[in-house]
Amino acid sequence: MSNTITAEATESPTEGSTGTAEQVERARQASSIEMRGLHKRFGRDTVALDGVDLTIEPGEFFTLLGPSGCGKTTLLRILAGLEEADDGRLAIGGKDITEVPPHKRSVNTVFQSYALFPHLSVRENLAFGLKMRGMSPQQRDARVAKIADFIKLGDLVERPVDQLSGGQRQRIALARALVNEPDVLLLDEPLSALDAGLRSQLQVELLRVQKRLGMTFVFVTHDQQEAMVMSDRIAVLNGGVIQQVGPPREVYERPVNAFVARFMGHDNLYPVTARQDARLTTPLGELTTENAGGEGGLLLIRPETLDLLPGEVAGDNHLPATVSERLYRGSHAEYRLEIGSSTLQATLNNRGRHLPEVGDRVTVSVAPEDLVTLGE
Amino acid sequence: MRKRALKRCLAGFWWFTLAFLYLPLAVVVLFSFNASNSAATFTGISLRWYGRLMGNEEILSAFANSMILAITSSVVALGIGCLIGYGMYRHRHRKLGWLIVLIYLPIVLPDIVFGISEMAFFVQIHRLTGLLQPGLGTMIIAHVTFQIPFVALIVYSRFVGLDPTLFEAAKDLYASPVKRVVHFMLPTIKPALISAFFLSFTLSVDDFVISFFTAGPESATLPIYIWGAIKKGVSPEINAIATLMIGAVAIAAVISLVFSRRRQA
Amino acid sequence: MAYSGVTPTARSRGMVREARHLLLTVAPGATWIVIFLVLPSAYLMGVAFMTNGPYGLPEMPLSLESFRRLAGFGFLGWSPGNLYTLLRSLWQTLVSTGLVVIVAYPIAYYISTCRARWRPIMLLLVVVPSWTNQVIRTFGWMNLLAPGTPLSNLAEGLGFIAPNMGLYPSNFAVTLGLVYNFLPFMVLPLYAAFEKLDTAQVEAAQDLFASPVRAFWHAVFPQTLPGLLAGIVLVAIPAFGMYVIPELLGGGKGMMLGNLVANQFAGGANWPLGAAGAILMLIATFIGLFAMRRIGKRLGGGEEVVI
Repeated sequence: MSNTITAEATESPTEGSTGTAEQVERARQASSIEMRGLHKRFGRDTVALDGVDLTIEPGEFFTLLGPSGCGKTTLLRILAGLEEADDGRLAIGGKDITEVPPHKRSVNTVFQSYALFPHLSVRENLAFGLKMRGMSPQQRDARVAKIADFIKLGDLVERPVDQLSGGQRQRIALARALVNEPDVLLLDEPLSALDAGLRSQLQVELLRVQKRLGMTFVFVTHDQQEAMVMSDRIAVLNGGVIQQVGPPREVYERPVNAFVARFMGHDNLYPVTARQDARLTTPLGELTTENAGGEGGLLLIRPETLDLLPGEVAGDNHLPATVSERLYRGSHAEYRLEIGSSTLQATLNNRGRHLPEVGDRVTVSVAPEDLVTLGE
Repeated sequence: MRKRALKRCLAGFWWFTLAFLYLPLAVVVLFSFNASNSAATFTGISLRWYGRLMGNEEILSAFANSMILAITSSVVALGIGCLIGYGMYRHRHRKLGWLIVLIYLPIVLPDIVFGISEMAFFVQIHRLTGLLQPGLGTMIIAHVTFQIPFVALIVYSRFVGLDPTLFEAAKDLYASPVKRVVHFMLPTIKPALISAFFLSFTLSVDDFVISFFTAGPESATLPIYIWGAIKKGVSPEINAIATLMIGAVAIAAVISLVFSRRRQA
Repeated sequence: MAYSGVTPTARSRGMVREARHLLLTVAPGATWIVIFLVLPSAYLMGVAFMTNGPYGLPEMPLSLESFRRLAGFGFLGWSPGNLYTLLRSLWQTLVSTGLVVIVAYPIAYYISTCRARWRPIMLLLVVVPSWTNQVIRTFGWMNLLAPGTPLSNLAEGLGFIAPNMGLYPSNFAVTLGLVYNFLPFMVLPLYAAFEKLDTAQVEAAQDLFASPVRAFWHAVFPQTLPGLLAGIVLVAIPAFGMYVIPELLGGGKGMMLGNLVANQFAGGANWPLGAAGAILMLIATFIGLFAMRRIGKRLGGGEEVVI
C-alpha cells in the first residue's frame, strides 16, 4: 500500500492548501475493515464484546455509538491492536491483521486524552511515528511541514507541548496520527474534553479533513448528536452487541428496538396492545401506520412529526389531548400533552402560527408514514 | 494584635532553631581553621590541618573507597531499581502486596539490624564457601540493597504520574518494544533517573552504620575513617576533612535550590 | 454464530506474556532483596535462639539463653545492666520524640505561614544539615559540649554539672543529639499536613468557638494528626535502634540497645545475645508501623503515609 501524500508534489497555484488536499484525495486508496465474530471478556465475567460482525467500507466516516461500557472503546482498541480479541478475526484492506501487534499496523489513533509526549516538542511529536518507521530526517521534515500546512497548525509546531490549549492539543494529536498516512484513522472520543463551542467547530473541521483525504475514519462517541452530524454510517452498541447499523437518518428515524430509540433521544414509545394490518391499538388510541411490516410490539412517535390543531378536529390519526406543559425555545416549542392516562411529547416549529397554551384542548395529528413500530 | 505577636514569637523561634541546626556544623568549620590543636579555644586562622590532609594516604584511600562505593552501588541500584519500578507500575492492578513489603523492608529496617544481619550472613557465607570476603564488594552489595527501594519508588511514582495512554500512543505510532524503551520510556523518566541516582549517591556517602559492619580491613570509607579517628582521640584534622564534606553538601543544596527554582519558572 | 466460550489460545497467550514480563522486571530486584536482606535477617533471627560458642559464634543446641541474658540473668546471677540499657533506650526514645514534636510543630506551622517563594528555601535549610554525615554532625556536638567550651562553662556556672566534667559524655548529650538528628524527619510530614490545611475549617471554628485555643484543638490539630503520626514513627523507630549518637555522646552510662547489640558482634562477641536484641528492635519497628497503619485508617483520611 504505497499511498503517499507527497506522490504529486506539484503545488496547485490557485487554492494553496486546498490543492494539497485534492492531490491527497486522488492519491489515496482507502481501506475497508472487516470484523468477524469478535469476542472480548475482561476478567471472569465482564463481557465487553459478544460476537461483533461488522464491515466498514473504504473511505467511510463510521461511528461506534453507545453508552459507556457498551464495548465501543474495546472494539476501537482491538482495531488499533492495543487489545487482543479472545476470539474472531479482523482484516483491514483485505489483509488479516488479527495477530499483528499495534506497532506493525498501518492504523493510527487519536486518543481521548491526546497522549502527546511531554518530553518532546510539538515537531518531534508529529515526527515520532515517521521516525519509528525509520524515515530519514529530511523526509520527516517535509511530511511534517505538509501536514502542519494541511491542518493549518501555523506556528503551533514551534511551541512546547505544555503551552498548548485543549483545542490545539486536539489538532496536534490529529496531525500526529494523519502524518503517518495510515490505512485507517481511529478516533476515541477526541472531542469530549472540549467545551461546546470549540467542539462543534472542530466537528466541522474534522469532517472536512476526512472528506478531503477520503480516508476511512472510525469514530467513537457516546453523543448521538455528534454521531449524526459526522457519520456516513453509525453502529449502535449495547452490552457488547451491535444493535443497529445504518446511516444517521435510518438509525434516528427507523430504530430497530427500544434501546436504539431511547439512545437516539426518543421518549414517545407506546406498547401496541392489538393490531389488524396497518391498524394499531395503543394506550393513546387507534392509529394507522404505513410501516407496520415488522412484528414490533412498540410504537414510536417522533415529537417533531406531530401537528397540534386547536380544539377538537375529527379525522384519521387524530387524537384529542390537553396541553400540560410548554417549554418555549424560540425557534421551536416543546409540549407535554395528556391523552387519557398517557403523556406524549411534541415539538412544534415556531413559524409564526398559533402556539397552544398550557391547559388548551388540542387535537394531535400525525401522518401514517411517520409512525414506526419496533421490537422491544 | 495578638496574631502579630504570635507571628513574631514564631519567627524568633525559627531563627533559634536554625542556630541550633547549624551551630555544630559551624563549630566544625571554624575549628578546621584553628591554629592550635585545642578543641576548646580558637587561637587563630591557619590552613595547616588541610595541608596535613593532602599528605595522609589513609584519608585519600578512604575518599577513593567512598567514591567507588557510592558510584558503583548507585549504578547497579539504578538498573535493578528502575526495572522493578517499571514492573510495579505495569502490573499495579495485580495483587503485589508481597512485593511492596519486600520493597519497604530495607527502608523500615533499623540501620543496625540491617548492618549486623548482613555482616553475620557474609561472615558465615565466607566461612562456608570462601566467597563474599568483607571488603568493598560486600559493602557494594549492602548499599545496593538499601538503594534499590528508593530508586524503585521514584521511578514508580514517575510512571504513575504519566498519562497511561502515552504507552499506547507509542505502540500506535509504530514503536517496537525496544524503541518504546529507548525513545519513549527512558527519555520520559530521565528526570526521575537523575534524581534517583543522586539520592542513591547521597544515601551511600551518608551511610555509616551499614558500611561499618560490612567493611573489611582495607575498605574504610571516609565516615569509617572519621569514626576511627574520633575513637582514637579528637584530632583537628577531622575538622578539616569534615568541613570539606560539609562543603560538598552545601554545594549540593545550592544546586538543588537552583534546579527547583528553574522548574518553577 | 454460537459463542462457545473463550478460545484458550489468545487469552492464555496474553496471560503468559504478562506473567513473563512481571517476572523479568521484578525478579532481579526481588531476588536481590531476598538473598541479601531477607535471608540474612532470617538467619539473624535464628541465631538469637542458638547457643553462644567459645569464639562468640552461634552454635547448636537451640536455647532461650540469650533472651535470659538480655533480661539480666548471667553466670554471676541476675544483674540489672541489660535491663537498664533497654529502659534507657525506651526513655531516650520517648523524651527525644516528645522534644522533637515540641520543636517541629511550631516550625512546620511557621514555614507554612510564610510566603510561598520562601517555603522551599526554609525547608531546604531545615533538611540540609541531615545531608551531612551523621558521624560528622555528632562530632560537631562533641566539639560544642566538651569540657571547657562556652556551653559547658555556662552549665557549670549554673551548677548543672560538676566542674571540668563537660556536658558530654552524658544522657543529656544523647537526648540533644537525637533531637538534633531527627528534627527534619518531623518537620517534613508536619509541614505537608499544614500545607494541606483546610483554612475554611479554621475560620468556621473561629466563628463558632471564638477561643483560639479551642479553634486550634478542634479544627487545626485533627487535620495535622496524620502528619504528626507519620513523623512520630519516622523519629521513634530509628531513635530506638540508634547506634552512632549514644556511642559518641553517651559514654558507658549512656548506652542504648543499638550499642548493646553492636557490641555483641564487634567486641563482646556474643552473636546470639546481639541477635536477641535485634529481634527486640524488629518487634518495636513492626509495632510502630502497625500502629501507624491502624491509627491512619481510623482517622479515615484513607491516605497512605508515605515514608
